[in-house]
Amino acid sequence: MNYGYYPGCSLTGSARKLDKGVRAIFRKLGHSLNEIPDWNCCGALEYGDRNELIGLSRENLKKAEGMCREIVAPCPACYKNLKEANSDANFEILNPLELLDKEALVSLNAMRDLKGKVFTPYYGCVLLRPEETAIRNKTVMEDLITFFGGEIEGEKIKDRCCGGNQFFANKWATEKLSTLILEKSRGVMVVFCPLCHMALKTFSTKRKIIYLTDLLLYLTGDNNAL
Amino acid sequence: MQKTDYIIELAGYKKEDFSVCLGCKICASVCTVNDLEMNINPQDLLVSLFLEQEVDRDHLLVRYCTNCYRCTSACPWRIKIPDVVRALRESLSVASPFEKAFKGSINIWGRVYEPYVFLMAIPFLLKEGYVKHMAKWTEYMSIHLPHKVKRLNRSNSLNNSHGLNGSNDLNGNKGRM
Repeated sequence: MNYGYYPGCSLTGSARKLDKGVRAIFRKLGHSLNEIPDWNCCGALEYGDRNELIGLSRENLKKAEGMCREIVAPCPACYKNLKEANSDANFEILNPLELLDKEALVSLNAMRDLKGKVFTPYYGCVLLRPEETAIRNKTVMEDLITFFGGEIEGEKIKDRCCGGNQFFANKWATEKLSTLILEKSRGVMVVFCPLCHMALKTFSTKRKIIYLTDLLLYLTGDNNAL
Repeated sequence: MQKTDYIIELAGYKKEDFSVCLGCKICASVCTVNDLEMNINPQDLLVSLFLEQEVDRDHLLVRYCTNCYRCTSACPWRIKIPDVVRALRESLSVASPFEKAFKGSINIWGRVYEPYVFLMAIPFLLKEGYVKHMAKWTEYMSIHLPHKVKRLNRSNSLNNSHGLNGSNDLNGNKGRM
């Protein structure tokens, strides 16, 4: 299937690993991602008031007109902003997590499993809240890990806030919130948000913090994914 | 128009929308800022705005709200308090040097060009002790050229957005202030 693709600023910069992972997984699933031409920043969570944010994302939707009906936006902030801007429902805005159902997992043709391994899936805030812009399946990471034989820990912290939004304003606040999460989790932390990834990684000591796409690539035989 | 009304409108609400608040304080019981050992009640903020009392830029929520929407999920009326805080931050011009650099990058390139943001915020990053984390950030750092995005059609994008119908532009000039 053909999807429009909105990588957003972080996936073309500090979260390139997530971008590469999403593209590779979609290729393996037989989907093609067509990047929206000349897209601009969605405003993330920082750019001014709501009108400004929605205005920026409307520009992106205009640029996608005529090229696709479904837009895949991996970054949770981009996904939320595009969804809010899509008030006339001209497009379907999707997060890759929404396309990873059981059927998709089977078609990944996994060469490995996760038996004996412990994971803490961590969604963070934006993927799960507020309800109208949240992903539909709120246990997709747990489903995936258990499907391949892995164990789940730290369920109660999966929707806590890592404080990533305060990282470059009040670092101590992010450190405190991220440390609380790290202390209550076990095993490998699996995330999907670039901001959570950066905040948790910065304040962790020896913990492995990976994107879900890294885990999927590992399952399909990529030795360098983890 | 009162400044508080303007802030409420920036957040996508009308003043009457806050009159439904039951004062249940469930937002306070879940607020992430309270995990930072602060005694915060987001409902007080809504009441202040409803009563047209100006909110100080040092208000703990204005400074520390993490935009996590836990309050919204818990609120019986699903009031998006983080949107209100964001409108307050905008109207009070509360932004760290890093956030200013972030906005500057969008105004120049239409995108966030990270090397530029880091360069512009270097004095702040040095002063606030971010440099000690640089070793861990090596995985993230990459030198790449900025992609020049066609200048945004500012008036169109804002006319199409909700609420104020183009009363402010992307440079932050507020038409109604």
